[in-house]
Amino acid sequence: MTGLERLPGGLVDRNRCIAFTFDGHPYLGFPGDTLASALLANGVRMVGRSFKYHRPRGVFSAGSEEPNALVQLRRGAYREPNTRATVAELFDGLDATSQNYCGSLRFDLLAVNDLLASFLGAGFYYKTFMWPQALWERLYEPVIRASAGPGRLSGDTDPDVYDRGYLHCDLLVIGSGPAGLAAALVAGRSGARTILVDEDFVMGGRLHAETHEIDGQPGGAWAGSVVAELGALENVRLLSRTTVIGAYDHGIYGAVERKTDHLPDSKGKPRQILWRVHSRRAILCAGAIERPIAFGANDRPGVMLAGAVRTYANRYAVAPGKRVGVFTNNDDGWRTAVDLAAKGVEIAAVIDTREMAPPVDVTSVEVRMGGRITTTWGRKGLKAITLATGEKIAMDCLAVSGGWNPAVHLTCHQRGRPIWRDDIAAFVPGTGLPVGMAVAGSVNGSLSCGAALREGHDAASAIMQDLGIGLAKDALPAASDESVAVMPFWRVTESRGRAWVDLQNDVTVKDIQQAHHEGYRSVELLKRYTTLGMATDQGKTANVVALAILAEHGGRSIGDIGTTIFRPPYTPVSIAVFAGRSRGKAFRPTRLTPSHVWAEGRGGTFVEASGWLRARWYPVSGETHWRQSVDREVRLTRSGVGICDVSTLGKIDIQGEDSGTFLNKVYANGFAKLPVGRVRYGLMLREDGFVYDDGTTARLGKTHFVMTTTTANDGLVFRNLEFARQCLWPGLDVHLASATEQWAQFSVAGPRSRDLLAKIVDPPFDLANDAFPLMACGTVTVCGGAPGRLFRISFSGELGYEIAVPSRYGVSFMAALMTAGEDFDAVPYGVEALGVMRLEKGHVAGNELNGQSTAKMLNLERMISRKKDCIGNVLSQRPAMNRQDGLAMMGFRPLDRSVELTAGAHFLAMDAEDRMAADEGYMTSVAHSPELGYSIGLGFIMRGPERVGETVRAWDAVNGKDIPVEIVPPHFVDPQGNRLRG
Amino acid sequence: MIIPHPLLGPRDASEFVYLGDASLIDRPDPRAADALQQFHDYLYLRDNPAGEHRELWFHEHGDRSWLVVTRNTLTHEITAVELAKKVALERGRDR
Amino acid sequence: MADHALTAASPLAGYARTIGDVLLTEVGDYNLCSVAAPLGEDEALVDSFDVPRPATGQSSISTDGATRLLGLQPDQILILFRADDPDRAADQVAAAMKTAAYVTDQSDSWVLLALEGADVCPVLERLCMLDLDDAAFPAGAVSRTVMEHLSVIILRERDNRFLLFNPRSSARSFLHAVETAAETVLLQSNEPVSVRHRRGTS
Repeated sequence: MTGLERLPGGLVDRNRCIAFTFDGHPYLGFPGDTLASALLANGVRMVGRSFKYHRPRGVFSAGSEEPNALVQLRRGAYREPNTRATVAELFDGLDATSQNYCGSLRFDLLAVNDLLASFLGAGFYYKTFMWPQALWERLYEPVIRASAGPGRLSGDTDPDVYDRGYLHCDLLVIGSGPAGLAAALVAGRSGARTILVDEDFVMGGRLHAETHEIDGQPGGAWAGSVVAELGALENVRLLSRTTVIGAYDHGIYGAVERKTDHLPDSKGKPRQILWRVHSRRAILCAGAIERPIAFGANDRPGVMLAGAVRTYANRYAVAPGKRVGVFTNNDDGWRTAVDLAAKGVEIAAVIDTREMAPPVDVTSVEVRMGGRITTTWGRKGLKAITLATGEKIAMDCLAVSGGWNPAVHLTCHQRGRPIWRDDIAAFVPGTGLPVGMAVAGSVNGSLSCGAALREGHDAASAIMQDLGIGLAKDALPAASDESVAVMPFWRVTESRGRAWVDLQNDVTVKDIQQAHHEGYRSVELLKRYTTLGMATDQGKTANVVALAILAEHGGRSIGDIGTTIFRPPYTPVSIAVFAGRSRGKAFRPTRLTPSHVWAEGRGGTFVEASGWLRARWYPVSGETHWRQSVDREVRLTRSGVGICDVSTLGKIDIQGEDSGTFLNKVYANGFAKLPVGRVRYGLMLREDGFVYDDGTTARLGKTHFVMTTTTANDGLVFRNLEFARQCLWPGLDVHLASATEQWAQFSVAGPRSRDLLAKIVDPPFDLANDAFPLMACGTVTVCGGAPGRLFRISFSGELGYEIAVPSRYGVSFMAALMTAGEDFDAVPYGVEALGVMRLEKGHVAGNELNGQSTAKMLNLERMISRKKDCIGNVLSQRPAMNRQDGLAMMGFRPLDRSVELTAGAHFLAMDAEDRMAADEGYMTSVAHSPELGYSIGLGFIMRGPERVGETVRAWDAVNGKDIPVEIVPPHFVDPQGNRLRG
Repeated sequence: MIIPHPLLGPRDASEFVYLGDASLIDRPDPRAADALQQFHDYLYLRDNPAGEHRELWFHEHGDRSWLVVTRNTLTHEITAVELAKKVALERGRDR
Repeated sequence: MADHALTAASPLAGYARTIGDVLLTEVGDYNLCSVAAPLGEDEALVDSFDVPRPATGQSSISTDGATRLLGLQPDQILILFRADDPDRAADQVAAAMKTAAYVTDQSDSWVLLALEGADVCPVLERLCMLDLDDAAFPAGAVSRTVMEHLSVIILRERDNRFLLFNPRSSARSFLHAVETAAETVLLQSNEPVSVRHRRGTS
């Protein structure tokens, strides 16, 4: 076979050939083929091995419900495992391989599992690998991992790009079969913003797979004309190759559009797009999925769903076999015989489980009413079947129909529960549909073409009316209501061999019976015990048959047992499409400081902190270790002057008559009486009394303050201030505006900082100590007229200032500061030096403000004003938070000055055991102090203040350190504060 | 989820930050004799109903309003949305 | 101190690029101030401008087109204008007020990126979750929303021209996202964009 000899008709384009390979063999197909249809056309029947028993398997369905035909597409980093051949579009050069075998597909070494089947029954993982425990990690898990799991990822970075986007519509129509097309036509002609989505690459659903007539023309042709009309409407968007994967709250749907999966090369275009669809209403027209019947050896290649056989014949012009039999319990199955016979395919027999007259007159075809197939023959492909009567009939394809299950999955994503309908022997959507969702057509249990058209039309008309959208006068397309009568029949009881229920997970009738026998009677437990309904197909063809068998054994009805919960996604989704563009450096935004360009030019090393890239240190030539750079920056700042960009600190503009009152409520200490032109350190608590944040707040005018927050808490503090302003004290006249991004702010620190600023700040501003003392602030102009704000505050412990200019001047101003500082050997310093200096000075930072610390622990309890209320004031007075023997922040230095301390070490008494029960506290921050010449630390230790001079162990089991340290006051440098007042 | 903002119409929940029970507006009187107990209850003993719940949401990536959203925690049905500032004023909060 | 005279730098250095038929430009030379009225004096604030006060979610523009008021939050207005002296923008606004008002200069807090062209909506639908349909978001509509994890203000100046205000510090990251979206939508296209994205380009 070349793959090019086809039946008449169909939607494949015979004008062009497509060359592809499967397991290295070259084949030909046509545009319009799926990999599955092309393989069937080429006579390839065996396409994979089953998951557990490694049995030969062939194409079973013609859609995304496929349990068997899982293949790997493409090579190298582009390799994509577990792709269903039934939905993979054929393209030139497609390189597909089968999977889940050891050796070769035809001679799979792991097929030995099939011989061991009696040991691999339900729950075998749970039973077999329990003992001895020691073997689990060394033997069982590696062996199971090596043999289980169908495909293999390449392990390389995905070279394709993925994207995401947002869509909005009045009506989302999910599925483009007769119901979906009828619905979209009503909405589109009415002018509603409509999105029609289908997972297939051709819209029309089963209209292309069947031989229905609509309005006097073939169903497929009708679908084509409707799609063309919709495509020409401004208000309609057609999304083919798009799967709605989940129904979320309030009309939001997730949909994955496969943009270039069907092309040999993405050429830089996004391969897939994850759409978030906001819909006012949705109509689910997802159709139905056929289910099999369980009988002996029903898993051989060639045993297929009856509807799928019709799809291959009618849509792809492929006969899945030369001699085709039909096994059905319903009228719909007969269509397969009729359609294939009309195309000239030989029909071996129609075997109908029902004891009645044949519903269809098929002349010259063998019919076995009341017939039951007990087993099949053919090692690597079907050759014959045997009936319960003992009759053996030769055939190479068996089309099986056990009835149709409405694809209710999306109706359950908001915990809706499907209900059982006896007349069609299937679950249909119950109550509790997602808000705004209607259902129409087969998914609603209305299985005929005419009913689907009618329901789609009516559902859309009702929604248009509901939304107040003028309805276009529109005739209902006319079609026949073909017979779909069904008599439930789940399994052939006479079968003695294994009868498969879940082909993908190799779950048989016996497994379900055994699970039931062992007490697994709830459907959710059955699923987990037998793995029924797991993996890529989620039991789309298997579940209801399994429920019926469970029901039969428990003497219950299927409706009483119910189904397992369906969750998103409807079909498997690649992780990459969820990441979209957010990969690598684009994972999240990077914030750059206003002087970033300057720092780059200076050769700074950067570190990410709370989303910001901050200069960490600035190496100069000859420095080979970061400590050399940092130590130099600290020394030169303490001896001369250093400059650091501190713009990342949060800045909040607070204005209003009641700003002072407001600050009194949000800060533990008082601010209302802060004079204009002064700055104050503020301590912020959470309502539970723990310390939240700290910073300085300056009063620029009678009604104008500017607050600073820590870098990490900028957004959080702003949110909390808005909460206080809107929800707690809405009567205050106070307004907030974030000013973090507006100002480029620099710390200028060191004994020569005043001299430097004298060259920057425009006269006549007086920087003298008396005129502008510690904690002063003012509005200034700098560098000949540019606006600026000056604060006399110090984090380093030196004489220091922070000076701010509008961010647009950030780079220029940093350069100006450095130029002005040349006479004083000014040095730029990074966040490491900043951290060293604050630690030497005993200032707290994020490591100490860790959400667990109280003001008492930080030796700041006297800052909580008892004369006024503030957030956290009342609960901060709880006795347990003010214990005299509680943790307190202290300084630590090693007895052996040459040893480096580590943060995270726990404090133990010298003679204590190495146990957490003996824990007395922990080290929060450490640094090498250039000033002192040894390693110092801050940390919390019990009864700290009364233990100055005592030696304890800093025990760090993670780093294998156990260092005797002396407890000292937390201020290592200039404890009297003479420098900063100078 | 979609939150029908009283000023801006339907807005996606990802623009918002969630806080919790709207009773957080009713901050106790710190001068009350049993203030410690009241604050303890205010902070730690909030309801967590399976059903209708009045809760606070902040439109952080939006108009910066705090909202009181009445939401059914079982179905996510939202039946009322009010500006929290208005609610707070109505409940007697002032300055 | 003329030897240290400061020069202003825009975060995207005057970026301009055409991708497909969409023109991306960094808008410079503007000022932006937020204004709030003292409690209970909201009406007085309205009178101070020769522009109607916009509702939250709307903007209004002066007859000469030079001043636009953006209604972004209930008790605050953002003014987009060109100050006589960019270093004194807030002073200029405060002086124009008929009543005391709380003005905060935000000119340097944002980067303004203009997107203009027939296919601007198909690009924005990859970035912005708001419904930008003509009816839902007509010319003059403005909103703060979230794009690429950032709070971004989006203003529809005209049918096919949008301004995106994004935080200055993240300007490069945001531009990268916009460029990527525009490139994936508009470049190396297999089909004409106007066919694929008919909706929203009117």
